Amino acid sequence: MTAVHQALSGAGPVDAVTGQALMVQRLLREWGHEGGVFADAIDPRIADRVKPLVDFQPGPDDVLLVRYSAYAPKLRPLVEWPQRKLLVYHNVTPAKYLWNHHPGVAVACSLGRDQLPVWARAASVATADSEFNAAELRAAGAAEVRSVPILFDPAPLAERGTSPSSGDGPLVLAVGRLTPNKRHDLVLAAFALYQRECAPDARLLCVGPGLSPQYERLVTAEVERSGARNVVLAGSVPQADLNAAYAEADVLLSMSEHEGFCVPLLEAFHFALPVVARPAGAMPEVGGDAVVWDHDDDLAVTAELIDLAVRDDELRATASERGRAQLERFSLDRSEAALREAVEATLASRRS
Amino acid sequence: MTRPEDAPARAREDAERKRAGGAYADGLAGDPALERSIAPERPTLELLEQWSVIEVDAAVLYSTRRGGGPITALKRVLIRLMRQYFYELETRQTRFNVALMARFRELEQRVERVERAVAVGEAGAPAAGDAGAPDSPAAPGE
Repeated sequence: MTAVHQALSGAGPVDAVTGQALMVQRLLREWGHEGGVFADAIDPRIADRVKPLVDFQPGPDDVLLVRYSAYAPKLRPLVEWPQRKLLVYHNVTPAKYLWNHHPGVAVACSLGRDQLPVWARAASVATADSEFNAAELRAAGAAEVRSVPILFDPAPLAERGTSPSSGDGPLVLAVGRLTPNKRHDLVLAAFALYQRECAPDARLLCVGPGLSPQYERLVTAEVERSGARNVVLAGSVPQADLNAAYAEADVLLSMSEHEGFCVPLLEAFHFALPVVARPAGAMPEVGGDAVVWDHDDDLAVTAELIDLAVRDDELRATASERGRAQLERFSLDRSEAALREAVEATLASRRS
Repeated sequence: MTRPEDAPARAREDAERKRAGGAYADGLAGDPALERSIAPERPTLELLEQWSVIEVDAAVLYSTRRGGGPITALKRVLIRLMRQYFYELETRQTRFNVALMARFRELEQRVERVERAVAVGEAGAPAAGDAGAPDSPAAPGE
């Protein structure tokens, strides 16, 4: 059967795109399509599961599933290859957030956005994991974009480890990499107000690896500036420990300004955890009416929203019920079916 | 019953009521320095000029490996040993960048002057079809 290989700009052990690639590799094998996962930059911790792009030599009838999330020098030549291409657009973080904090990543993002039209035109089939991303792909020149949501598998959420938090007060959880677009400064400021005005014993747990040690130091300094107490910046934690944190938390808080999908929303729904979030990027699609959307610039209002989400049982029950409906919308079966249709459409397309 | 869509209005009311009682007085906000660090989508010329001077602090080095502390330390030692070479590399790249930015500035100023001249010419020129416009610029091929 035809091999379907996946190509990524970069691969890491806690990277969402890499996680999707490995999950899809298992599915493709179940569907009879062998194929490797190849990346330009590979974190040494995952080198046993992802091969370097320089070693990539697909056969003429193979299919290339290209996961596009940034520019990578060794990924670029693939656009000219004659094999059929299935483009999966995961969105590219706007470079403006990164120029001053990680110039190398900013360059990859800037060039990634500049070169998106080339990929959009070269794809036999183009897909995006949210309508927000699909709109960007259409604007880049893709004729037809299929919606293939992130494969959200609830199975790994069953394992329970140890939450990195401690204490007894209401627990506010923030999940996501420490990057400028996630606006942890606003998370900390809103939490500090909530702690001061509503719940003096409240705790904040931020889970997610830092963009760089320098940026981690900047966020750590921000904890001090905000005056917030009981704050834990846990960094990257094993899934089992994150599950324990979700199970213990009282509310998930996101002040992010840019999200191509936002898996933590679905994870929070799985744990019946209310969410207070700013409606950024694809988040309104993923969260639907289950999230307490914070449209206000006034962080005092955010603090009060956190308080409501923690204390109002009716609000928590409604959000939880609606969250289950959103989980159904993004169920693994539905997303797998959409992916399979996209793979079959690519196989049915002609080589360029 | 409070639904998620009702919560913002309630939260605003609560915040206003508490403010009237003296709460939320200091208006804690996000970090202005971090806010400023988010550059424009297309960096300004001023920012490009700042970036044109290459100077990399060895403190930015790190390792993603588990227990990567000794690796980071080794990298710093290597950089220190190679400092003369890297200094040369940085200054040569900076020389090129600064010269390029200067040329770019000149070009921008020239384009601005040309655009101003064209705008003045267009403002002074009579509308198409008007009789007696001896000073209007001739169209190519005329």
